[in-house]
Amino acid sequence: MAKVLNVILTHQPAACVAAMIEWWSRHADSAQVLIVAGGRREDFDEIAQAQKIFADDARLRTMDHQREFQSYTGVFRDVSAWLAGRDRTHVSFCEYDHLPLVGDFNEGQLARLAAEDADVIGHHVQRIDGTSHPHYLCHHSNPEFHRHWEKITRREDPEVILSMFGSGSFWTREAFDAVASHEEPFRIYLEIYLPTLAHHLGFRVRDLPDQNSFVQVSPDREPELDAVREAGAWAVHPVKRRWNRARGH
Amino acid sequence: MNKLKRFLRDLGLKILRACGSTIIDAETGRNLGRAFLFTWRGKVFVIGLDTPVRPVFRPQARLTYWKQELGFTVHPPPDFPRCGKGP
Repeated sequence: MAKVLNVILTHQPAACVAAMIEWWSRHADSAQVLIVAGGRREDFDEIAQAQKIFADDARLRTMDHQREFQSYTGVFRDVSAWLAGRDRTHVSFCEYDHLPLVGDFNEGQLARLAAEDADVIGHHVQRIDGTSHPHYLCHHSNPEFHRHWEKITRREDPEVILSMFGSGSFWTREAFDAVASHEEPFRIYLEIYLPTLAHHLGFRVRDLPDQNSFVQVSPDREPELDAVREAGAWAVHPVKRRWNRARGH
Repeated sequence: MNKLKRFLRDLGLKILRACGSTIIDAETGRNLGRAFLFTWRGKVFVIGLDTPVRPVFRPQARLTYWKQELGFTVHPPPDFPRCGKGP
């Protein structure tokens, strides 16, 4: 029997988090939600959710995420430690502005993972080595970048570099824990590091091509939640300001 | 200031894309978007292309010593099997 943990990463105050959890309770089992708070410690202390952890990680708190190579490695490590001794079989990882839209959100993820026979599914999964992808080119300027994957890979081709959108992904517990147990050798942007590490550890990483149009960098999708749900979206990104209204902003 | 910078950047890209070429996948014939290409000091600068592409020299049926064509292609979607997985 699959048991999914819904990890939601946020930096927002408690009132916003409460509104977010209320939304999540309509789309997933709220008892299976773990809040990871990367904002201020005072805000974390005020969050009413019982299942919560505080992420005190400078690599998470970046301003220019791509150029500062934002990292979720510390968050994965903290969540993996929280999971120790608990019986969750899968991890759904979402940022605060990645909203589920369907009541059977986790069931849909589980069904797709099984259909793809995958260990990780995510949005905009693509192979980027040797390409003009800006994140790849920036990391390729570091001579250690490809050497690192050569050292750790279990695959025949160490050259493969994957990219996956960071706002929402779904993992088997085994893949999540395996990735969480590795130390980042130097700063690597999370959208490259997480899928590439999973791939080179031997896990199967697959794209969600039918969902990618609903998960984009911009614009804010709040005005079209019903429309994208009717168009087949399980979840949508970004919806950045919705929870701010809970504290009167 | 950031908004103005962003607006000027987007406008510049729009103009350069309009002046540029449609990039066709050298292997599949798929439209990969538009970009402005120019050469400078032995390098090819690709401006405004959103798709991550790989450069490839195109096969030629006729042997020519004076001209070769450089095109672009993309990786197929990742579909790698599971392989000795573990921590």
